[in-house]
Amino acid sequence: MTDEFELAASSPRDRRGWRMPDRRQILLGAVSMGLGALAPLRARAEGTDKSTLSIAFPVDVPTWDPNALSIPGIQNLYATVFDSPLRYSPDLTLSARQITEWKWADDKATRLEITLRDDILFHDGSRMTMEDVKFSLSDRAKADKKLVVGGMLNTVSDIEVISPTKAVMQFSRPTPTAPIYLAFLTAYVVPKAYMQQVGPEGFNAKPIGAGPYRMVEHQRGSRITLEAFDKYWGGVPLIKQVIFEIAAEASARVALVESGRAGFASQLPVREVQRLAQKPGLVTKIYPFSEVYMLRIPNYVPPMDNDHVRAAMHLSIDTGALSKAFYAGVAKPLSVMAPDGTPSNVPDFKFAFDKAKAIAELKEAGYGPDKPVSFTLLSTNGVFPNDYDMARAIAQMWKAVGINATIEETTVAKLIDAAQNSKLAGPVVYSWANGTGDPENYAGRIFDPRLRFSAWKDMSLSARIDKLMTEVNEQERIAGYKALNVESSEKSWAIPLLQGITTVAYSAALEPTLFDNGYVLPVEMKYK
Amino acid sequence: MLQVISAIVVRRLLLAVPTLLLLSLVVFFVLRILPADPLGMLLPASATPADAAALRQQLGFDKPIPQQFLIWLWAAINGNLGISLNFRQPVSQLMMAALPATLELSFAGLILALLISIPGGVLAFVLYQRKREAAADLTVALMQSIPSFLWSLLLIAAFGVLWPVLPFSGRAGPEVALPGLTGFALVDLLLTGQFRGLVSVASHLVLPALALALGFAPLVIRVLRSSLIEAAGEPYVEVARLRGLSESRILWRHMLKNAALPTITMIGVQFGFLFGAALLVEMIFGYPGIGNLMVQAVKGNDLPLIQGIALIFCVLMLAITVIIDVLYAVLNPRMRNL
Repeated sequence: MTDEFELAASSPRDRRGWRMPDRRQILLGAVSMGLGALAPLRARAEGTDKSTLSIAFPVDVPTWDPNALSIPGIQNLYATVFDSPLRYSPDLTLSARQITEWKWADDKATRLEITLRDDILFHDGSRMTMEDVKFSLSDRAKADKKLVVGGMLNTVSDIEVISPTKAVMQFSRPTPTAPIYLAFLTAYVVPKAYMQQVGPEGFNAKPIGAGPYRMVEHQRGSRITLEAFDKYWGGVPLIKQVIFEIAAEASARVALVESGRAGFASQLPVREVQRLAQKPGLVTKIYPFSEVYMLRIPNYVPPMDNDHVRAAMHLSIDTGALSKAFYAGVAKPLSVMAPDGTPSNVPDFKFAFDKAKAIAELKEAGYGPDKPVSFTLLSTNGVFPNDYDMARAIAQMWKAVGINATIEETTVAKLIDAAQNSKLAGPVVYSWANGTGDPENYAGRIFDPRLRFSAWKDMSLSARIDKLMTEVNEQERIAGYKALNVESSEKSWAIPLLQGITTVAYSAALEPTLFDNGYVLPVEMKYK
Repeated sequence: MLQVISAIVVRRLLLAVPTLLLLSLVVFFVLRILPADPLGMLLPASATPADAAALRQQLGFDKPIPQQFLIWLWAAINGNLGISLNFRQPVSQLMMAALPATLELSFAGLILALLISIPGGVLAFVLYQRKREAAADLTVALMQSIPSFLWSLLLIAAFGVLWPVLPFSGRAGPEVALPGLTGFALVDLLLTGQFRGLVSVASHLVLPALALALGFAPLVIRVLRSSLIEAAGEPYVEVARLRGLSESRILWRHMLKNAALPTITMIGVQFGFLFGAALLVEMIFGYPGIGNLMVQAVKGNDLPLIQGIALIFCVLMLAITVIIDVLYAVLNPRMRNL
């Protein structure tokens, strides 16, 4: 029936006898011409323009008000556009930046004298003074409770301006760790006059900072174009234009750097980094940074209140095997809630994997192969590398000793909601970011039962943590956190698993500086 | 004809009001009862439950859900869809900036899908009950089984990495400044005569639009093929043959027009598929549209923004329904008398 609809097999010829191209040939010709017109794209992808750098980046900036949100993933961008009062060096040492000196004016850590550089200009050419610092870190927080900077610097009662470059930060209670927060989330200085003139919405549309790069264009969810600021106090950045290509999907970031369209890409899957390492012209790194992968345990969920069950959970996890399986062996197994090289790490303390001991602990709790202990294990999927895979592996390790964990996939928003309502269904595979490396932002926050997201709700820890947070003797403070780390690990209030890893791939022509807190700062990059 | 079209439009608009109201109500309540905290990213690690409660009160999340809905509804009627929690900008402003990009992408995807599916459907019909029918069926089934996000990755691998001839990130090259007259980049660049920019935008559109099209085209191919098979048995085809018309003329001029009616209905119904697929496609290609915005809103549990985007999707679907009804009336004379 349909034979009649067969198309002519040969093409008609015109009067001169030349064979006319058929439709297929015309179509192919058009496609070829179109692709040919795009050939320069290929050349561009393969070349290296040393005045420009494209960075394939996973997260976009929701708002350009740097005092508003405390999202760790976008601090690179804020630090690039706004700079920061202090900054952690690549090896996590607190260093001068916009603030050159800081010292306590009393022995109670309630008055911090700070000195500002006198050569800092904002992108509009105006000079940064202590009035801007006071406005950004104190006044704004008091006026608008929605700004997270108020929570990050919650003990700042006022900033007394002595001169354009001198001020005293006043705290409502001893805050010996105050300087670290001047190099951390939300502590960025914005121009007071401009912010007051245009308001937060106007500022968001056209942000002005004092960082090495100024924001030129932001296509939401797509691209951020930055240009070197020629009056930056630290000198004009070597790379004149930096483009952050927002690629939330890891495969797209891999493709961008593999095709040469991006000179640098971060947070790539480990297996992809291993593959890219074989490609000529690309350099790849998998390196540990100041993040901790852990199991957070809600003690209000039976049988998490049983010391023996928690001990069995802890003893039966082979963290070395997890590292080899999912993080190329680079993620270092942890025995306490502090990575190697950070102040409260306890190198002498080791919590060893011991399957037999785990079985014995379970037996103590009244469980065994015939009577396995069962609970829910919560895990995100894709929030940090191989999170869900790690949860599955842990569940398998537990199964081998008589623990039946049912994995439930969840989201960060759900976790926060459940945690603050004390309704976590079970232990949680979690990643804890801490750009400072200070123990206050590891154990000090993780075990504070009063915080809304805390899982281990032991109210007796409040006083102990308060004491550590106000301890002005640095040696005693660190010793206190070390003791807390060891005790929390021995009693398995939470289970430290691995030091977090991050991954990058970049053009061999590029020389980036990699930071131990995972920061990627264009101002610290140059071409060879 | 104009009277019929006006009647259709008025009828649909009247129906749109309760539809939008119901959808808003459902979305609002579902979002509020989900066990996820909208304040998740709005508070620092040091925040206590008391801090969270204070912020909740400030943002009005402490009020009973029906009261919250009435407040939102009254504001929405007055053109205010609220402020995004994460972006700190009016929801309507964010959506208006992103919507043209999604519409441009979706229409480009639709056009490419039709360019693939109309010849594809005809070819599938031509091959019906012939040796190569199985191969054609297999090809269509294979296309149908690959979702648009996977097409995106395959296309990026093929034309972005292995043979890097097409861009796959963003809406235009960084050297192109989009004029922002209408928000539709192709239109704006055409109006301002920026032809290099036009080429850049068009080349950035190819892969995401193709990813959408390849996910959508198999559905159209299948429906068109079935409609053509049905049409081939109609008496008017025999009459046309008796009148001496060529088979290709019968196919392209007569059968295709009749087969187009169910196909158009299906395209209208399935157009939502394009928007849905655009969510992931935009994210993969870093395309600054509504889909990309939605992904960010969902990740941050940004309730006002999710609510606004759901509303705009509903409005778009209703608009498409009107267009399809009008097209149907134009193409099918019997509909004009209803």
